[in-house]
Amino acid sequence: MKGWMGKVLVVDLTTREVATRPLDPNMARQFIGGRGLGARLLWDLVGPEIEPLSPENALIFCVGPLTATGFQTSNRFSVSTKSPLTGTVLDANSGGWWGMHFKRTGHDVLIVKGKASSPVYLEINESTVEIKDAAHLWGKTVSETSAALGQDKNKRSVLCIGPAGENGVLFAAIMNDVSRSAARGGPGAVMCSKNLKAVVVQGRVKTEVDDRERFKFVEYEATKMLKANPITSQAFPEFGTAVIMNIVNAIGALPTRNFQQSYFENAEAISGETLTETLLEKNQACWACPIACTRITKTGKGEGEGPEYETSWAFGAACGVDDLEAITNANYLCNDLGMDTITAGSTIACAMELTERGLLNSDLRFGRADLLERMVEDIGYRRGLGDKLADGSARLAARYGAPELSMSVKKMEMPAYDPRGMQGQGLLYATSNRGGCHMRGNMLGMEVLGLPKLIDRMQVHGKAGFVILHQNGSAVIDSLVVCKFANIAVADEYFARALTALTGVEYPTGELIQAGERIYNLERLYNLREGFTRVDDMLPPRLLNEPATGASAGQVSQLEPMLAEYYRARGWDENGVPKPKKLEELGLAELVEVAR
Amino acid sequence: MIDQRVYEMFRDIGRDMYLHNLCSSHGGNISVRFGDRIIIKRRGAMLGNLKPHDLIETGLDKNDSGVALASTELIVHRAIYKATPALAVVHGHPRRAIAMSLSRDEIIPIDNEGSYLLKKIPVVEVEFASGSPTMANTIADALKSYKIVMMRGHGSFATGQTLDEAFQWTDALEEACEIIFYARQLNEEMIEYRKHSASYTTW
Repeated sequence: MKGWMGKVLVVDLTTREVATRPLDPNMARQFIGGRGLGARLLWDLVGPEIEPLSPENALIFCVGPLTATGFQTSNRFSVSTKSPLTGTVLDANSGGWWGMHFKRTGHDVLIVKGKASSPVYLEINESTVEIKDAAHLWGKTVSETSAALGQDKNKRSVLCIGPAGENGVLFAAIMNDVSRSAARGGPGAVMCSKNLKAVVVQGRVKTEVDDRERFKFVEYEATKMLKANPITSQAFPEFGTAVIMNIVNAIGALPTRNFQQSYFENAEAISGETLTETLLEKNQACWACPIACTRITKTGKGEGEGPEYETSWAFGAACGVDDLEAITNANYLCNDLGMDTITAGSTIACAMELTERGLLNSDLRFGRADLLERMVEDIGYRRGLGDKLADGSARLAARYGAPELSMSVKKMEMPAYDPRGMQGQGLLYATSNRGGCHMRGNMLGMEVLGLPKLIDRMQVHGKAGFVILHQNGSAVIDSLVVCKFANIAVADEYFARALTALTGVEYPTGELIQAGERIYNLERLYNLREGFTRVDDMLPPRLLNEPATGASAGQVSQLEPMLAEYYRARGWDENGVPKPKKLEELGLAELVEVAR
Repeated sequence: MIDQRVYEMFRDIGRDMYLHNLCSSHGGNISVRFGDRIIIKRRGAMLGNLKPHDLIETGLDKNDSGVALASTELIVHRAIYKATPALAVVHGHPRRAIAMSLSRDEIIPIDNEGSYLLKKIPVVEVEFASGSPTMANTIADALKSYKIVMMRGHGSFATGQTLDEAFQWTDALEEACEIIFYARQLNEEMIEYRKHSASYTTW
């Protein structure tokens, strides 16, 4: 196999057995790598009878064929598991260096099963895999653990959990290269449930390329696209992803104070422009990335990475906070404790509203920037009220008798785009296989930024087609595994050609996108097998009933008509179950019985 | 009942197709896909002057009364939607591109815009080059790998997420061909300014 290493590493922490088996080439061809391959392996390994935090759940780390080739943004990896936050299929992916170094150990996949009897970490290189004692690391933060294990991005990468993972925070992240994170849905809690503190990788195995000249040409043309696109060549490098803060706010789609409004009067203060003027020290890039959107910042309390847009929003507009330094400090703490900033901020926002409505007795109030750091720390260590917030907003709001105040889908908190001002985004959240997530095909591109072309953001009829196409395309990007930001400038056809030149397997663009559709349907089947139904494809009632503010004033989400159109267009029945004909078309015929 | 927004999109792109000389008075056709439905120009309607009743809705798979009114090329549009992720299709008769399709199997732009956007446009050929199943399959197959292709002697088929996007590829193709024509008329040796230009044929 070219492109793929052709090897799956399986570590059973209960028995301490380590095995290597060949990667099934047909499976690789159909599901590519990363998220797709992870979902396919999870389908076989983790059935509905398995609890997310039990030893039987698997943690599946996958890279893709493009990983470590030097193709733009080919540094990423994906981790798949059953989510403890949502109970759905989960994949979370991360940039940095770890994915590249892992592939250079000569593997495509690392499956971790079972549970060690005491804390351990894995050390993997091209010839050995060792299970080592991690008792001395337990309790250490992400930065301490990374330093102790010899993090050196140019040679050796450390992936680990922090105290949030160790304390079973349901949205704990897996961190790598100190401050990069696979965060959403709580993979860090699953890693803790296995008594696995870290995975250290180091290797020098090169990825074989089938047609190097053609591959280089595609890469060269992709570079032109990245350089020419003002978002990837100017806006993100200069201002980071938070450059979109003012844009989203201007159209009345910036969720504010737990989605009570969709316009934040102080958005400018937490924007990318303000960050660049005040706290930014420099920008930084992941391996093989020409975009360099990472923010290296400095506050009165220290220096670190972030915040990017979602974090600035979650601790900012969502909490009614306009203090960028407080937001940045909360971000640093999330990184070091190892937890998802989106769910952390959104859950604090939910607690603020519960308090203001008299349902929760706490000192949290919208705008209380001074409480952010303390709350984040309390969540990470499950102290006091933090212990309750550590289970996410859906469980918190239900506990205090107001489940409707959790701004989540399938128990995952929605991020920084209000569906009342972007109709397609609402449909995308509602139908996302891992819950309220913007990375399953962000409609920001088409509905706001005009990528590839601007469509009417309030359009309802016909919106399903765009959402489906972008969901399928996202599944491909997450399976290759490359960065969504590269895909802003570099169209799918470039990735298809790169994959063809790399692997020698012919991937017409249409077939590559169909692979994305296959992955999306498999994930859907996984969730159906777990007991999810049409009822779960739903937005919080606030978004369906309470009008937006700002430039989207008066609008609510028109989810129902879009959802009906979506199921039809997907080839699913009225209950959202894929029809046999669709599964056969996608080569998933053997799963027809499950769909019934 | 066709949504007003959809009609306006058809009207504007249809008008621009005609004004840019990308079709004759009654030639060319455009469509969009909404799930398992297609909206396509009425057979015989003037693309540059579309009225609301010139938009016909029919099934992607299933026939209904719409097929009696839809464009002759409906069969091609359906095949494209089934074979590719396209949500919009634009079919035009760009004159210089058609002329070039008569003497070559692929068109390689020499201008920067054409090279940047399109790289290479394959030319395909069938015996019955209007509304035939063979033509539909041939075009659809080529569009799995390219966003715009030429049918020899007939015209272009372009795909996109929106009509706007598919129109852009069509217009860019014709501009690229026009520049090739001018460059040939000058009959001067071309100074190559593009690194890796020899590789465009491998796209």
